[in-house]
Amino acid sequence: MILINIDSLSTNELQHIAQMEGLKGWKTLDRDELISALEDWFEEMDEGGIPVGNGHGTYGRYTNNLTNHRGKAAHFKDLPRTGELPPSYYDSTIHLLLRDPQWAYAYWSLPETIQGNKTSFDDEDHSGESYVIRVHQTELATGTTTSSDIAVEVKDQEWNIHLPALGCSYSVELCRLHPDGNEEVVARSASVETYLPYWADRIEELAMDRDLFLLHFSSLVTKTGEVAENVVLKDLALTVSKGVLS
Amino acid sequence: MSNANVAFVLNAHLPFVRHPEYPRFLEEDWLFESISESYLPLLRMLNRLKEEGLSFQLTISFSPPLIAMLTDNALQNRFVHYLQQHIELGQKEVQRCKDEQPQFLEMAQHYLDGYIRNLHEYEDLYRMNILDGFKALEQSGHLELITTAATHAYLPLYEEYPQAINAQIELGVQSFLTTFGHPPKGFWLPECGYYPGLEEHLKYHGIKWFQVASQSMLLSPDKATYGGYRPVRCPNGVAAFPRDYQATSLVWSNTTGYPTDNVYREFYRDIGYDLSMNYIRPYIHEPEVRVFTGYKYWAITGDTDQKVPYVRAQAMERVKEHAKNFHYVVNNRNHRLRATMGGAQPLFFLGFDAELFGHWWYEGIDWLEEVIRTSKDRTKLVTPSSFLAEDATPLQTVRPAFSSWGQGGYSAAWLDGSNTEYYRHIHKAITRMEELATRFPDQTSLKQRFLNQAAREVLLAMSSDWPFIIYCRTSVEYAKKRIEGHLKNVNLVYDDMCKNAVDTEWLVKAEKRHTIFGDIDYNIFNSERI
Repeated sequence: MILINIDSLSTNELQHIAQMEGLKGWKTLDRDELISALEDWFEEMDEGGIPVGNGHGTYGRYTNNLTNHRGKAAHFKDLPRTGELPPSYYDSTIHLLLRDPQWAYAYWSLPETIQGNKTSFDDEDHSGESYVIRVHQTELATGTTTSSDIAVEVKDQEWNIHLPALGCSYSVELCRLHPDGNEEVVARSASVETYLPYWADRIEELAMDRDLFLLHFSSLVTKTGEVAENVVLKDLALTVSKGVLS
Repeated sequence: MSNANVAFVLNAHLPFVRHPEYPRFLEEDWLFESISESYLPLLRMLNRLKEEGLSFQLTISFSPPLIAMLTDNALQNRFVHYLQQHIELGQKEVQRCKDEQPQFLEMAQHYLDGYIRNLHEYEDLYRMNILDGFKALEQSGHLELITTAATHAYLPLYEEYPQAINAQIELGVQSFLTTFGHPPKGFWLPECGYYPGLEEHLKYHGIKWFQVASQSMLLSPDKATYGGYRPVRCPNGVAAFPRDYQATSLVWSNTTGYPTDNVYREFYRDIGYDLSMNYIRPYIHEPEVRVFTGYKYWAITGDTDQKVPYVRAQAMERVKEHAKNFHYVVNNRNHRLRATMGGAQPLFFLGFDAELFGHWWYEGIDWLEEVIRTSKDRTKLVTPSSFLAEDATPLQTVRPAFSSWGQGGYSAAWLDGSNTEYYRHIHKAITRMEELATRFPDQTSLKQRFLNQAAREVLLAMSSDWPFIIYCRTSVEYAKKRIEGHLKNVNLVYDDMCKNAVDTEWLVKAEKRHTIFGDIDYNIFNSERI
C-alpha cells in the first residue's frame, strides 16, 4: 500500500486504503484518525514501523513507488498442478549470504526439520541431538582463523550472523551434536569476504587534507550534509568530520 | 574554465507483468503509466531537441522484461485501449471542469492533449513499438543504449551460482542484440548491486563498462586516486563508473531534491480517488477499485492535505531555476576538482530510474530538456562510452567494493526479514535447473519446451522487483504470488522430468502466460557448457 507522503493523501484515499486493509470503523474516522490508525496498523504488521514514513528518508528506487492499486482485491490463479512450496528441502545444506559488511544471513535445511526427530527420512531417531552453527572467521591479511558456535534448535532454519571485523573471510558449518559427545559436520557453506577499505586506517589523512576530502568524500555527501547511507561510511564520516557529518 | 562532464544514465525497467487471461489487469497499468507518462514524453522531448540541432548525449538502459512488454502485441493493443479510455475521461473532465472547477480546466485540457498526442505518436509514428524511436536516436548519435540483467536480478545474492549470473548477463546481452542489432558496450547493474568478481562474467560477454554505487570507491581496498570522480578499470580491464551521490541527490532525494519543490505537481492527489464513484467508475478497475487516472490538479504545497491548485506556468519557471542550479552546482564542483586532479577530467555520473522522469516527477522531463538546452558552454553531456573514447588520461586500476544503491548501501533491502524466506527456494530452483540442464542436455520437441519454460520461470523468480516490493510493502500480495508461482512452476517441471514426464496442459498454459525470452535455450544453465 502507498505510504509515502501519507500526510498529503486525501481523506478519500485514506478511507480507501483503510477499507482495503480491512480496518474496522474506517467510515467513522476523520482524517487525522485515519492517518493514525493506518500508521498503527502498519506498525503492528511489521513491528518495525513504516519504512518510508511521511515522505522522508531515503528510498532506493522510484520504480517501486509505482501505483499499488489492488489492495486486497483478487489475484491471478496459479497454473494447474503446481501445489505449494515446501517449507524446506530434503537435503542437508547451509548457505551464507552477505547482507552488509557487518551482518550475513544463513539459512539451512535438514531432513529432520521437515519430518520431525523421530520420523526422519533416514529412519534414525534424532531426538536427543542438538545443533550448532559454527562460524569461522579468517583474517585475510594473516590467515588466522577463529571459530564460535551458535546453538540452534532443530526447528530453526535461518540465523542472522554478526560479522565482527572487516578484512575477513567468513563461513559457517551446520553441526549435529550427538548425545555421546560426538559431533558431525552436516553441511558447510561457501565463504563470504569483507574487505578492509584502504582509508579505514588512514582516516586522519583524509581529515587533515582538504583536497583529499574533496576527492574522496564530497561525492558522498548531499548539499545539506547527509552522508550516503552506509554503515561503514558513516563510521568513517563521523571520524573524518569529527562529528560534523552524520 | 572547462565544462563539467556529466553522464546522465537512465535505467528503464519494469517487472514482466502480462496477464492476457484477464480482460484488464491492475498491475499492467505500471507499464501503461510508464509509456504514457515517461517513455513517450521522453522520446518527444529528445526528438524535439534533435530536430532543433542541439548537441547532447544521454544513456538509456532497456531491461529485457521491458523490451519484451514493449514489443508484445497483446500489451500494445491494451495500451491503445488505455489511451483511448484516458482520452474519453479527459473529454469528460474538460467539460466537468468548465462547469464545476474552472481553476483546473487548463490542466484537464493539458492532460487530454497529452493523451491524444501519445495515441497519435504511438500508433502512427512508432507503429506501436517505441523502441524504434530510441533506436533512431541511437543511430543519430544522441543516445547510447545499454542492457542489464535478464530479469533485473540483484546479482550479489547469486554470487554462489555463477551459472545463474551468467544466464542473467548472457540473456541480457542477447535480448539487446536481437532488439537493437548490435552488442551493448555498457551494462546497468540492477540496483547498482556489485560484488568483487562480477566483472569477470561481464567481460566474458563483451561488456566494456558498468556502473557502481558511489561508495564503492571510498570503501575499496585500493586507493582510488580520483575518488568517485572518474571511472576506474577493474583488474580485468572492464571500466566501472561510480555514481555521484551528491549530484544525483539534487534530483533523487525525496527530502531535498528538486522534485519535492512545493510548486511541482502532487503525485498522490488524483481524481481516481477524489471524485465520486459514480463518475469515476468506468475509468477505474472492477469492481470498484480506485486507481490513479493521471488527472491530477494539485501542487505539492507541503506536508498537508490543504493543497493549492497546480499552476503549470509557475512550475515551468521553477524548472528553469532548477536547471540553472544544477549547472551551477556541477560546474562549481568541477572547477574545484580540476584544481586538485592534475589535468585529469572529472566525470559526474548520474544514474536514475527512467520512470522518475514524467511519471513520478511530472516536470522531470521538462527539467531534463532545460538542462540540455542550457548546457551549451556550461556542461558537456557525455555517455560513458564517449568519455572512455575521448578521455586522454589512462584509467587507474581499482577494485570496487561490494555495494548497491539500496537502503544501507548493501543488500539489506533485498535480504530483509520480510523477504529472506524466498532465497532458499530461488537458490534451490537454480540448482534444480542446473541439474536438469546437465542431466537432460540438448533435448528436442516437448521436453525442450518444458525445460525452456523452467528456465524462464527460474529467471523470472530472480527479479529484484519482487523482494523489493515485499520489503517496501507496496504491492506485496502480487509480488508474493509472482515469486511463489514461478518457483512452484520450476518444482513441477523438476518433479515431472525426474519421472520422465511432460505435463502438456501446464506447458501450454505456462508458455502462453510467460512469453518472455521466446528463443531461450535452457542449456544456458548447463554448467558443463562454459
